[in-house]
Amino acid sequence: MYIKTIDGKSINTKLTYNKKGLTVYSFWATWCVPCINELDDIHKEIEKWDDANVKIVAISTDDSRTKRRVRPMVNGKKWNFEILLDENQALKRALNINAIPHTIVTKGTRIIYRRIGYKPGEENHLYEFILKNSTVKN
Amino acid sequence: MNKKYTFYLMLFFFNSSILHSQILKNLTSSYESYSAYYLDDSKTGDFTYEDRFRSNNYLNLKSSIVNNWNFELQIESYLPTALLNYSPNFKDTGISTFKIQYNKKDLNISLGNFYEQFGSGMILRSWEDRSLGINNSIRGLNAKYRINDKINFTTLIGNQKKGFKYSKGYIVGFDSEFDLSKILKNNSTFLLGISYVGRNDQKTKSDFYDEMTNLYSARIDYSSSYFYSNIELVNKSKNPIVIFGSVSDTFIKEGSAILFNSGFFKDGLGLDFTFRRLENMSLFSEKEAYGNLYNESIVNYLPAITKQHDYSLTNLYVYAAQPNVSFQSNSLTKAGEIGIQTDLYYFIEQETFLGGKYGTNLAINASIWNNLDGTYDFSNQNYETDLFGFGEKYFSEISFEIRKKWSPKFDNILLYVNQYYNKRLVEETTSEVKSNIFVLENTYKINDNKSLRLELQHLSTKDDTKNWSAFGLEYNLSSAVSLYVTDLYNYQNPVKEKKIHYYNFGGSYSKGINRYTVNYGRQRGGLVCTGGICRYVPESTGLSFSITTSFF
Repeated sequence: MYIKTIDGKSINTKLTYNKKGLTVYSFWATWCVPCINELDDIHKEIEKWDDANVKIVAISTDDSRTKRRVRPMVNGKKWNFEILLDENQALKRALNINAIPHTIVTKGTRIIYRRIGYKPGEENHLYEFILKNSTVKN
Repeated sequence: MNKKYTFYLMLFFFNSSILHSQILKNLTSSYESYSAYYLDDSKTGDFTYEDRFRSNNYLNLKSSIVNNWNFELQIESYLPTALLNYSPNFKDTGISTFKIQYNKKDLNISLGNFYEQFGSGMILRSWEDRSLGINNSIRGLNAKYRINDKINFTTLIGNQKKGFKYSKGYIVGFDSEFDLSKILKNNSTFLLGISYVGRNDQKTKSDFYDEMTNLYSARIDYSSSYFYSNIELVNKSKNPIVIFGSVSDTFIKEGSAILFNSGFFKDGLGLDFTFRRLENMSLFSEKEAYGNLYNESIVNYLPAITKQHDYSLTNLYVYAAQPNVSFQSNSLTKAGEIGIQTDLYYFIEQETFLGGKYGTNLAINASIWNNLDGTYDFSNQNYETDLFGFGEKYFSEISFEIRKKWSPKFDNILLYVNQYYNKRLVEETTSEVKSNIFVLENTYKINDNKSLRLELQHLSTKDDTKNWSAFGLEYNLSSAVSLYVTDLYNYQNPVKEKKIHYYNFGGSYSKGINRYTVNYGRQRGGLVCTGGICRYVPESTGLSFSITTSFF
């Protein structure tokens, strides 16, 4: 399955996962306040996530109404996650995601964690889950 | 009654026997249910429709049968009837969509219902949005072919879905996209796209216009490490205008669209600018569907280009894009819209005076949308527009947002919005509304499981129904359980009986991918908008609940 990079190029979703550890896929949108809260909260302590050898991929489900806001917002917030665009929600649909925020953790291509919604503090539970399941350490 | 049981039986069947059997490999499914029990209300009136209990149910099943072959089926059930203000075409239980897909290397062929978008969607977008009752998937053939990851071709043909029915006539389309980045010999990206969509309407035919309406579009997209710019142009062939609900035999015009977007960004700063002009651009698979309340039979996607708000009072006077020709009276003539939007995002660094320990996020948005300027001849039903002329204003907005984390436990969002909404011209009624809105959101994290969120909102205006206030309090008492209470109050409504509290309280339980919600309260009537598409909903009071889950 193909998805767009932030530059509008097509990329195979198989190439997006972390070959050396776990990958967190966060489905978000520029208009989704809890989604932004989650990514902001992760970003605020990004060093510890980087140390855990986890790759964070933020998949924007913004459609053409708000898609153009993604790049300025990501840069305005200094997020350094990999950003992908699921403009007509093909990947979201393929993964049976009904609502966002929706967070998925994969080990290789295997899904080991899924969660709908975000409440403050849940990023810490996610971080603990990552530490527990991360076999490859730096 | 039997139909209801059939649906639950089907649900049980799919999730117990087949799921665990080896017949279908990799079966996954998702299930979503929204139900409501509507009540009489001493303030807003009795419930005057049929069926107090209403329920929308969606079961989606996906499987890869053998290598390279995928299968998808969606069953929907509206029993005894669909939720208030969903299209009457959503009724009973049935197969809503199905698809068989063949995938091999660079080839992808789908047979059945598919979702597709060309460019930004101005000539074609089919998608599903359950909250708005939109599923305009096309049933037919969709084929995609890629060459060296540099060239993409897409073709499609089929009938468009409306409820459980399909349009008379067909949609045909072709899209191509070329990655020409190599020409530039640096790290920037350069993409070129050309698309075509044809709409053949067999339902409304006449000797005065062609059965087929053709739309052509071309787009280029450039981006480098700090700058991007893209432009899309559309031409739509002559098609009849719908005046007072009937398709005209004499008022026949072409349509067009121009979309320009550009932005600049570097670490901590993002700037975006958009210009769009639409003239006679709406397109339905059946001409008669023009202006329908349920957003059925939409072929292309023309959302309002304004900030998409997440708070109730900022969504009171929402602008919906005005792509259509509308001749209501000598003083109310429209041919489309022209306008701009700009966004600025700025991050104030940590450990600075304004940034504090955690930094501060600033966001500014401004937009202005006007009617097309030109000469309108109401009595002879004709118009000539100026290419870059701004006519009477529909809507303008400026907003400032500050997000600030003060400590590991406490953060704020402060939002100020200044809006102008020309209700007379947009909704074709009366009045103009100038308003100022303040929102303050406070989140207090008690520990990793418990948090409190308080939302305070105020809208002040001398127009329409005057001032509103709103608040919301949310208590997350564990990682799974959340409770809330919200209220929306038009405390200055000039009509005493309409000073009503639109209160709601409820809770949710979510664990992993399962989520259950329950809500009791009063819903405000009016336009409910998601993703730039709006739907009119009547006022209602009642108990509602929802289930969202997936199975693997």
